[in-house]
Amino acid sequence: MALDFSARACYRRLLRLYPAAFHQTYAQELEETFADQRQEARYRGWIGAVVLWTEILTDLARSAVRLRLVRITGGRGGARPPRQRRQRNLVDNMLHDLRYSIRLLSRQPGFAAIAVLSLALGLGGTTVIFGLVDGLVLKPFSLPDADSLVTIEVDFPKLHARDNPFIEVVSPAEYADLRTLRSLTKTSAFDLGNRHISGGDRPERLFTALVFSDLFQTAGVSPLLGRGFTTDELGANGPMVAIVSHRIWTSRFAADPALVGRAIRINGVPTTVVGVMPPELLILGTDLWLPLRAAPSEWPRNARQFTVLARLAPGSSLDAANAELAVLAKRTAAAYGKEFAEYGGWRLTAVPWAVALTRSLQPTAYLLLGAIGLVLLIICVNIANLQAARASTRHREIAVRIALGAGHWRVARQLLIESLLIAGAGAVLGFAVARVGLRASIALLPAQIIALEPRIELSGRVLVVGIVASLVAGVFVGVLPSLRGRRTDAFDALKSEGRHTAGPVALRLRFGLIVAEISLATILLVGAGLLVRTMTALSRVDPGVNTQHVLTMRLTLPFEKYRGRAAIIAFFDALVERLGGLSGVRSAAAASQFPPSIVFSGGLRFEGRPNPAGGTLAQADTTLASPGLFQTLGIPLRAGRSFTLDDDAQSPRVAVVNEAFVRRFYQGQSPLGSRVALGTDAASPWIEIVGVVADTRGQGLIQPSREEIYFPVGQMDGDWNQLFLLIRTDGDPLTMLPAVRREIMAVDRDQPAYAIQTLEQAFATGIFTQRTLTTLLGIFASLALLLAAIGIYAIMSYAVAARTREIGIRIALGAQRQSVVRMVVGQVIRLVIAGAAIGLTGALAVGRLIASVLVGTQPTDPRALLSVSFLLATVALVAAYLPARRASRIDPVITLRGE
Amino acid sequence: MTTTREPAASVRTLTLHVIHILLALADGDRHGYAIKQAVERQTEGAIRLGPGTLYEAIQRLEQAGLIQEVDASRRGGDRVPRRFYRLTPKGWSTLKSEIARLERTVGLAHSKPRLKKA
Repeated sequence: MALDFSARACYRRLLRLYPAAFHQTYAQELEETFADQRQEARYRGWIGAVVLWTEILTDLARSAVRLRLVRITGGRGGARPPRQRRQRNLVDNMLHDLRYSIRLLSRQPGFAAIAVLSLALGLGGTTVIFGLVDGLVLKPFSLPDADSLVTIEVDFPKLHARDNPFIEVVSPAEYADLRTLRSLTKTSAFDLGNRHISGGDRPERLFTALVFSDLFQTAGVSPLLGRGFTTDELGANGPMVAIVSHRIWTSRFAADPALVGRAIRINGVPTTVVGVMPPELLILGTDLWLPLRAAPSEWPRNARQFTVLARLAPGSSLDAANAELAVLAKRTAAAYGKEFAEYGGWRLTAVPWAVALTRSLQPTAYLLLGAIGLVLLIICVNIANLQAARASTRHREIAVRIALGAGHWRVARQLLIESLLIAGAGAVLGFAVARVGLRASIALLPAQIIALEPRIELSGRVLVVGIVASLVAGVFVGVLPSLRGRRTDAFDALKSEGRHTAGPVALRLRFGLIVAEISLATILLVGAGLLVRTMTALSRVDPGVNTQHVLTMRLTLPFEKYRGRAAIIAFFDALVERLGGLSGVRSAAAASQFPPSIVFSGGLRFEGRPNPAGGTLAQADTTLASPGLFQTLGIPLRAGRSFTLDDDAQSPRVAVVNEAFVRRFYQGQSPLGSRVALGTDAASPWIEIVGVVADTRGQGLIQPSREEIYFPVGQMDGDWNQLFLLIRTDGDPLTMLPAVRREIMAVDRDQPAYAIQTLEQAFATGIFTQRTLTTLLGIFASLALLLAAIGIYAIMSYAVAARTREIGIRIALGAQRQSVVRMVVGQVIRLVIAGAAIGLTGALAVGRLIASVLVGTQPTDPRALLSVSFLLATVALVAAYLPARRASRIDPVITLRGE
Repeated sequence: MTTTREPAASVRTLTLHVIHILLALADGDRHGYAIKQAVERQTEGAIRLGPGTLYEAIQRLEQAGLIQEVDASRRGGDRVPRRFYRLTPKGWSTLKSEIARLERTVGLAHSKPRLKKA
């Protein structure tokens, strides 16, 4: 019979949702009535069909629910012909099983509570971790067709010995070259900076993108209001226009729909808003877009500070783009290599934007996913264990049901439904846990990540993962007891009165589960242990600076107000002097960078030494420092002198270097008096080294110290309008903040300070990954250990109960109590050894995943492995104590009497 | 034939749906769809019974003994044998007493000064 998809047939099938008895009596009539109703004039045509089905389905749903409710509450709803056999269909059966399971579970609230709570923790935790990973790593932003959005990375081997490709390094001329490529389209480039916005209630500093071309096109989204920049506006001497982000539009302009066309003040200059970004668009967290108002050709070829964003042309692939880029690189090197030595061997690579942004987070993210997955697995194993214990005590009940005619399938299905019920309850509770957990995790994220505004939320994907995990957990937890339930031989079970134990097979299975739990717990414990050792090692690292009581902040002086370095230097000199005079301040300084975020570096030439072959300059971190920097940071002076205010633009050029610099470039000989020059330009002035200071951990506690050279602020090359203030205070640095702000305003009242943090906080951020991993893995591992302990306790109690007769006989025959205890303990030890052996092997493999974040230890660290084993053994023995004691107290008289 | 039972307390005050169904049957024996149409006509479209709701009510009325199924063989001529329903004597008396109760309620309402019939 062919499947009939007519409306009537569909309705007929839907009717099966009704209770069986009702269905039996009225199904025919319902169908006829439906057919009649369909003929009515109001239901003609497409719209009529939609209206009809809406009404029919609503009616069906409501009446079906009502009818079933009446049946469940035992009302007299069922038209139950008493002499006819009660017919049941599938839905009836499942509902019955559900009611039965609810009744059963409510009789054992302890088990139900443990099972549901532990599942809620596991499922909630999994959802939280997945939500974080999804928001931060898998789908960091919701731009359309994110796979084709790429950025271009460059690597100049000649410019630095360090292999450090970073995005923000293309020059305008190179950008213009990139636009000619066929495999890339909608290529745009931007510089990142900051601008002050006023013309609202308060001035604010906005992270700004200075763009060469329309970013809306590249991003593939339309502006929420207004439009992108026109070619005129992007060109030289175009009008002052701006595009603002959605969050600024809402927070600063109260989502004013008439903002487009209004003027705002950017760095004091009136600027017209021409567009507003839509909410999902945020390029590197920039709140403001300004056109560069210049053509690429106006920059020197090596002014590298631009980030490139482009789309892969339709039909093009990442490989094709990289092939073209290789050709371009060669061509450029050939054409300009003489003038710009850095082009020798340079490389261009196209990288998906999402990958470039999240590269550093990926290993951590996947690690956390794996860890929480392990915890969830342990929880499921535990519940399965508990379920199996319950199932064995329901042995007789199951046997009776089978004897009365229930199919094995039926029994298994009931157990499965019970497990799904637990999983469902755990999932619902887990959802609440996930919401709280997600919000808490977002609060713990470091500020830089928050600025990118990742969408960390319980999105559809995340919820789906949570639900799937619940289902899997439910099935997993239900499968094992189901297997047992199916194999019950009714006759056998009915025979053994009161002996609620199962054969050796079941016991072995449960021992196997415990071993699995122990091995999983071992893996987590080893991971946690390694990280704890890492944190210990990190805490012993000397940062090279005195991190206590130092307040830091950043100031950016707008070009429009401070033209040229003289004005900049004057500002900072005045400010530092005022700050140094504040009561409560020990010393103050300004610097272009400070540990742990030393990023600016440059190439150097040494007087009297030939230029290195191949044009690779010596690299060192280059830092501008005001005279008080070393004192403020607590960096001891090892030789020579520090800077003074006399080292200004009119005096001879001087520099101070660190000990690493001396070791690397002077082989430990005193560098005082020798001279260096920056860059490849032969006209750059020679600078005399006048002092040596101790090393600092410029790249954080983990990386070794690098060679560093300091120059006085007063002798800055170029116009460094962006400097940090560092203030060493007597007491809590943050309490000095209002006073510091007042002094800044006294020098320039429109100047905001930002990126305010203490030096301690700065260093803490650097090891954020380690700290977070240690905390989380510590929690997971403790949880796993606790669960394993519970599991051991449960199964040893069960094993003792199972062998009560045997033990009783042994004791009656003269065995010592101690040997009984030894038997129990011996069993536990064997379990632990088996579990730990498997676990340690697994831990070695997994350890390689976290090797990159470990400091002062490796995955094979014997001390960590040994302590974990010791801890496991101790916990296992404690868990086995009570059952062992019970075993030793077995009174043979009682057991034998109960035969 | 379904056995009848004593009505549950819920049938003593009838819902509006049920009253209209009984009123529809007061004109004579009807099958389900005809009841539905009649109710719609009576209430000028205000009450539209879906098939499920309709037969749910019919089931309750049958159980309560207010209506009964008519032997189909008495109605000839239909292409498909449909179930026809008619009011039982008990159904008649229940309907009448319900109408009377409603009349008393309406009378009480009109005796109130602000609700006087215009």
